[in-house]
Amino acid sequence: MAQRPKGRSPFFWGSMIMLSYAVIAGLSITDAIDAPLNFILMIAPAGLMVPLFRSASRRIDQGGSIMCGKGQAQLRYTKRVMICTALYLASFGLMVFFIDQREPSEALRTVLAVPPGLAVIGIFWAVGRLIIEEQDEFVRMLIIRQSLIASGFSLSIASVWGFLEAADVVPHADAYWWPVAWFIGLAIGAVMNRVKFGSWGAV
Amino acid sequence: MKNRLKVLRAERSWSQQDLADKLNVSRQSVNAIETGKYDPSLPLAFKIAEVFDMAIEAIFERD
Repeated sequence: MAQRPKGRSPFFWGSMIMLSYAVIAGLSITDAIDAPLNFILMIAPAGLMVPLFRSASRRIDQGGSIMCGKGQAQLRYTKRVMICTALYLASFGLMVFFIDQREPSEALRTVLAVPPGLAVIGIFWAVGRLIIEEQDEFVRMLIIRQSLIASGFSLSIASVWGFLEAADVVPHADAYWWPVAWFIGLAIGAVMNRVKFGSWGAV
Repeated sequence: MKNRLKVLRAERSWSQQDLADKLNVSRQSVNAIETGKYDPSLPLAFKIAEVFDMAIEAIFERD
């Protein structure tokens, strides 16, 4: 009989992250919270990435995989995303602390603001490497499909929101919310994979 | 595309996981091919034919 994996599943932690970001985005866009508090609140859901990846790694160690596939490429992907997430948390925390407390010069603010963005680029790079390294063609197709759905979802929202914002219909949304929308799009892509192919995908 | 994967696998008493291990793919891939949700690439179709020691056209056929 198959052994039931211990602890919460990666789906649980992923859902918690999505839910948290949705709530923070709602509060931020409606100006219910100010910018410094928004930055601080954005760190907390990213911290949930740690139990998410521990849960995913545990599943791989138990002979399974995060969602499907043989696991090797996914294991490397998980490690890369964990590193990028750790860098994101550290650089974001540093940026919030300095900008909020020390009021640094524009040059220093630029230096502080670039690393969190680079860490997010690192996550996109990890997804790209997963597509290259995944040897299972069916799983690779699921990942590509998931990524295309995520890109379509986030770019569509960004386009519509941008014009609505220009027409003063909706409040301003900072550009760093679009990668968050892309990650939500990955979750939507996983559901669409499940409906069409019976497997969630691997991201 | 139709295929006889499920029947051929049953004749040999192989589980989906057994076949997946022989093909070096995930069990989900075997399931998706068996149920007709995913058509394998030509290299994978050749590999499947090799594992069953049969010609591709004896395993796969057009709808």
